[in-house]
Amino acid sequence: MNDISSRNIDLVDRYLQAVRFWLPKTHRQDDLIAELGEDLRSQIDDKETELGHTLDKVEMAAILRRCGSPMMVASRLGPQRHLIGPALFPIYEFVLKMVLLWILIPVFIFIVGPVNLVDGGGNWPSAILRTFSNLWSGLFIAAGTITLVFAIVERTSAHLGDECNWDPLKLPPVRKQERKPSLLKGACEFGFSIFGVIWLLLVPAYPFLVLGPAAAFLKAAPLLHTFYLPFVLIGVFALARSGFTLARPQWTWFPLASQLLQSVFTLIVLNYMIKAIGNAPSTHPFVMLRDGVQSPANYVKLVAIVNISLLVSVVFTWIGACIAALQQTWAFLRYLRARDAALERIASIGVR
Amino acid sequence: MTNGTANLEVLENLKLELRRGCLIVAVLAQLRTEQYGYTLRKALADDGLAIDEGTLYPLLRRLETQGLLVSQWREEDKRNKRFYRLSGDGEVTLQQLLAEWESINASLKNILQEASL
Repeated sequence: MNDISSRNIDLVDRYLQAVRFWLPKTHRQDDLIAELGEDLRSQIDDKETELGHTLDKVEMAAILRRCGSPMMVASRLGPQRHLIGPALFPIYEFVLKMVLLWILIPVFIFIVGPVNLVDGGGNWPSAILRTFSNLWSGLFIAAGTITLVFAIVERTSAHLGDECNWDPLKLPPVRKQERKPSLLKGACEFGFSIFGVIWLLLVPAYPFLVLGPAAAFLKAAPLLHTFYLPFVLIGVFALARSGFTLARPQWTWFPLASQLLQSVFTLIVLNYMIKAIGNAPSTHPFVMLRDGVQSPANYVKLVAIVNISLLVSVVFTWIGACIAALQQTWAFLRYLRARDAALERIASIGVR
Repeated sequence: MTNGTANLEVLENLKLELRRGCLIVAVLAQLRTEQYGYTLRKALADDGLAIDEGTLYPLLRRLETQGLLVSQWREEDKRNKRFYRLSGDGEVTLQQLLAEWESINASLKNILQEASL
């Protein structure tokens, strides 16, 4: 055997060794490697017969390159593997979205963020940085834990069997796209609006309705007193709106237009409120300690956390109201366009 | 990604899916005569169905596990080679697959004729 052919055999052996490294260590590993080796040697033989000489380094490399990188070849030769199979994956995706988007992120924004701000002595940049870093690690830990749990379920119950035993008769009914508000929905909205207005009117006399047990040592700050009346007006407007929607279901334009008006009014009030908070001399714009509370130093941190949580909530309510107003404007415009088109159709039938 | 590249990718995936089932029939049909991996690959490629090592060897193992092929390590030209051939069950399955293939082909022809009318 000459030097070149022994070097070629060495290269093939090195290649096979690299493939073996990535293959799962089962009884089939030797078998697969022996067969792949034989295939490669046959390819080399054929090429050498075709060219009439022993393959050089470049020609050998070309054969191995065409065959694929060792890791890729091993992945094709080995069994198909997945952490979470197609049967469980939709549930895994749903749980991941629920936990990360709808639980973890709100918790960090509304609870951990304010706590970090108070701990950092009101230093906003440091609090935001700390919250994001906490959120980042929290997301990783939660995603990792959920993935691990699903991977264990995948391994331990390979055949869940539910996909064969499902009952088509238990499928949920098709959700109707509601064009007109239903009577029940209108009645519920009216009932809740009455309840909401009564609740709002009772709050000044019974602050525990908002603050709960904390009403014993907390009271509303002057800013809340200033904005109390606009909020009551919004509540009364919502009550009137739901009353008219219930009494005049034929006014199909009314729910859309009045909802939009209410959102715009809410936005204006929230806008003034945020401006007022920015100009407020106190660092506690929403709630403050009651006069005569014993050892007020114990409550300083709590008051700060409640105020920051409320501030964050106001900002997010403002963002939500902006989105709602845009969506309601779009819905109202679509309604007007559809109504105009219907009127035109009726007119054209009359002309004919 | 441009539309052309996306279409090309879609076409490649569809071709791959179309080939997957046909390859099994082709492999079973080729193995009516005993062959080892490399000669089988060459024969398939010569007939226009090129298949890489990473696809063929797992497929051969799967077909053997399913009892459609039998294999044997044997020395030839001073080298150990694994020879495959169709088993009795494999022969029956191949006939059934070919019948199915004919039926699909006939249906497809009908559909295409109806579409061109």
